[in-house]
Amino acid sequence: MKNPLNRRLPRELKADLPKYLIIFLFFVMTISAVSGFLISDNSLRKANDEAFTELKVEDGNYEFTERSSPEDMEAIEQEGGIRIYENFYKEEPVQSLENSTFRVFGQRTEIDLVDVWEGSLPAADNELGIDRLFAKNHGLKVGSTIKFADKEFTISGIVALSDYSCLFQNPSDMMFDNDKFGVGVLSASGFEALRDDHIHYSYSYFCSTRPADDTAAKDAAEKLIGTLSAHGNVERFIPAFSNQAIQFAPNDMKGDSMGIVIFLYVIIIILAFVFSITISNTITKEAGTIGTLRASGYTRGEILRHYMILPMLTLTAGAVVGNLLGYTLLNDIFAAAYLNSYSLTTYEVVFTPDAFIKTTLIPFVLMFLINLIMLVSKLRLSPLRFLRRDLKRKSRKKAFKLNTKIPIMIRFRLRVIFQNLPNYIMIFFGVLFAEFMIMFSLIFQPMLDTFQENTTDNLLAACQYVLKAPVPTQTEGAEAYTTSSLQTIKAETGIKEEDVTIYGIGKDSKYVKVSSGKGKVDISTAYHKKYGVDTGDTIKLKDQYSGKTYELTVGGYYEYPAIIAVFMDQEDLNALIGCDEGYFNAYFSNNTIEDIEEKYIATRITETELTKVSRQLVRSMGSMMIIFTVFGTIIFVLVIYLLAKIIIEKNTQSISMTKILGYNDGEINSLYIHSTTIVTVLSLIICLIIGDRTLAIVMFEVFKGYSGWFEYSLAPSVIFKVLGLGIVTYLAVVLLLSRKVKHIPLDEALKNVE
Amino acid sequence: MFLEINGIKKSFGEGESRVEVLKGIDAQIEKGEFCVLLGPSGSGKSTLLNIIGGIDSADEGYISINGEKTKDMNEKALTLYRRKHLGYIFQMYNLIPNLNIKENIEVGAYLSDSPLNVDELLKALGLYEHRHKLPNQLSGGQQQRTAIGRAVIKNPDILLCDEPTGALDYKTSKEILAIISDLNKKYGSTVVMVTHNDAIKNMADRVIKLRDGVIRKNYINDTKLTAEELDW
Repeated sequence: MKNPLNRRLPRELKADLPKYLIIFLFFVMTISAVSGFLISDNSLRKANDEAFTELKVEDGNYEFTERSSPEDMEAIEQEGGIRIYENFYKEEPVQSLENSTFRVFGQRTEIDLVDVWEGSLPAADNELGIDRLFAKNHGLKVGSTIKFADKEFTISGIVALSDYSCLFQNPSDMMFDNDKFGVGVLSASGFEALRDDHIHYSYSYFCSTRPADDTAAKDAAEKLIGTLSAHGNVERFIPAFSNQAIQFAPNDMKGDSMGIVIFLYVIIIILAFVFSITISNTITKEAGTIGTLRASGYTRGEILRHYMILPMLTLTAGAVVGNLLGYTLLNDIFAAAYLNSYSLTTYEVVFTPDAFIKTTLIPFVLMFLINLIMLVSKLRLSPLRFLRRDLKRKSRKKAFKLNTKIPIMIRFRLRVIFQNLPNYIMIFFGVLFAEFMIMFSLIFQPMLDTFQENTTDNLLAACQYVLKAPVPTQTEGAEAYTTSSLQTIKAETGIKEEDVTIYGIGKDSKYVKVSSGKGKVDISTAYHKKYGVDTGDTIKLKDQYSGKTYELTVGGYYEYPAIIAVFMDQEDLNALIGCDEGYFNAYFSNNTIEDIEEKYIATRITETELTKVSRQLVRSMGSMMIIFTVFGTIIFVLVIYLLAKIIIEKNTQSISMTKILGYNDGEINSLYIHSTTIVTVLSLIICLIIGDRTLAIVMFEVFKGYSGWFEYSLAPSVIFKVLGLGIVTYLAVVLLLSRKVKHIPLDEALKNVE
Repeated sequence: MFLEINGIKKSFGEGESRVEVLKGIDAQIEKGEFCVLLGPSGSGKSTLLNIIGGIDSADEGYISINGEKTKDMNEKALTLYRRKHLGYIFQMYNLIPNLNIKENIEVGAYLSDSPLNVDELLKALGLYEHRHKLPNQLSGGQQQRTAIGRAVIKNPDILLCDEPTGALDYKTSKEILAIISDLNKKYGSTVVMVTHNDAIKNMADRVIKLRDGVIRKNYINDTKLTAEELDW
């Protein structure tokens, strides 16, 4: 005979359909989103991992000022234990697009191969294979034309360069920029025919013996720097493990994957607690029946299974539908989100057990365990206790005293709050999670605006021209300075090494006022905030290539909020790097410098360069943030509605009795709903403070891994939006709850009274 | 002897607030006997019933049913014991609100390997016409009849009734008592009924009167009345 208790299940489902439907839909939404995300993430990461072998991604690259002779190359190969390939590129402003730079490589046949998405690799001199993302961002297609270095090229193929899954222009860039920076390939002869004004002698290499792990790779890289320095002037050296253009995308996808899975588990845990509170409430309501069943011989297991079935079925149904949607519809949407940010190679959708385990099995176990623990602890009581409806585990204590001077309505509310403490604690945690999500989604735009504003307001000059040689200019207002690049030391800072721009500023500079005198340096405010360095401290920096270290004493701060930089006397810097007193290698200028040949200009640093991080963050995270806002709001409504509804249901008889006594709906609402209002509003405020402090820590931890500095701030507009959104959505919940209170019949108080 | 109650002692609370509810109860009940435990509130009759039913434990003494001592049973064995041998009826009907009358009785049938026929029992209880209704569509008496059906359907060896008519009016109480008496005769179940209604003793085979935790009287009723003949 089938357990007749099972026949209750469809009826219970029907009776409480809105609750189960809301939770089911929420499971579907969350699981479909996460499974869709994981499928796309796994597929793209697998393709990216495979590209390392199939497309022969380098173990590292370096750039010399001059081209190496075959003899030097052979010597480096032998001494460094590497196999070198010329991988020269030329970098030119795009004449057909505003403010864009294009880096073009020659034909690649042995290393860092090119993956073709559409069309074909260039064959003729005027054909170009262009990075898919850059092309997309500028509406370029196969057959379109693009002009740089005074030549027009026809796009023959939309491609992905295997060593540029993320379009970082410089290794020291805080963020990639696939809008203003693009890469592509020409045919061998096409590359040869392009002017050499901005040629970079870049070499990519494979290690003869691939390092076993990151530590071995780092050791090998440090050894290699010495070898390279002995055979040429090293402009740049990036082993693959620290190459943002190669590593950023897979690392980001891995991090996203972890983040979204944690997000799923938090939601499952919240919903599991919502269920457990619901079940606990039902058990309290049905205590007499449970006692009778237990007294009649029903085992604890049978009762437990009975109460577990519906939550587990709801989750299972949600997981089935969610996974189906995730596998079929949403994986393409998430893949598109990644493909909008990263220049990934072509991929095939793969279904891995990993996604199923994370989206279905683990949530199932979490839900099962949380409800099981709650039910076991609840059902541990003897049948007699159930029959007596004495479900408090500890012996019943006297009602705590409340000062009788407190008005009765307030005392009543306080008692409602204390009576329903578990529900209110869960409301608090629900609000905390939801508010954190909403805050997280809302802080970015104002933070980016502030960042952009600060950067623009604190530009050193309209343009900084970094030169390859000290060439004079007649441009009005141009001011020479010396610049160099050193690195922080991880052992000193605890944060991974990053480039520090050192500015040697001339006396009476019109552009930068260094407050520290000779022998001391000013550090940028970004440096001060990121590394906690104060005036009087000594900072230790190293030359990446020679390994030489420098100690500088901090004498003041310079307002430069985004870049890790040091400002010092020009003569001091020249002396520090072993140059003549009058040496310079850069200009500040508010006017365009036109009298220096392009071949002498290494880099132009403009507002566009400095604000690309905020542009890219908006592009990459904008749509994601909307999803977070929506999810956060839904969780907020869901948790508060379900738990507040339980409170009303638990107090149905009391509410009915107060109606009989003559209380009107408004007064009853003020007793039972306003208690929830007090808790919700207090939770909103407390959670805002907790969220702010948590986000400050999270953001610091996240952004300290990036080059440069991005300061966390909570804009007043965000506080108003978060509280406003919370209060408005809560008012909607109040309306629903008021309806529920209104519909409680008067005779409810007379029913089942023992 | 089918049901032996040996030296049962039970107290609640500790220290000064300790109350000895049962002070050493000894009694024997024959198989198929209709036994009434009579006594005022606080006499310990419900506690004794709960100890017999294995949902409460004695501080001292033991209950033996067909030679099996319940105090030697662990919780699992006690549950099995209740499942196989006992039927419980309480003052509150404790029916499952979203199961209909027939299903509520089937909840009891599920526990037995050889339950009685549900439809026959429904007819015997006068509930057959109401079998598809939910408990809240029935009167208190009908709901108590359903609770009796749920307890009896598994054909238990012992039917434990804790104030089964406590929430019912005079007429319905007599109907319920008649049903329990009929079932006792028809199926031969041993009935142990707790009541504070003195009149009910007249329909019992054995009467055990309790006061302040001790048995004041334990006798066989030779002038047994039917439920219809009772008056109070």
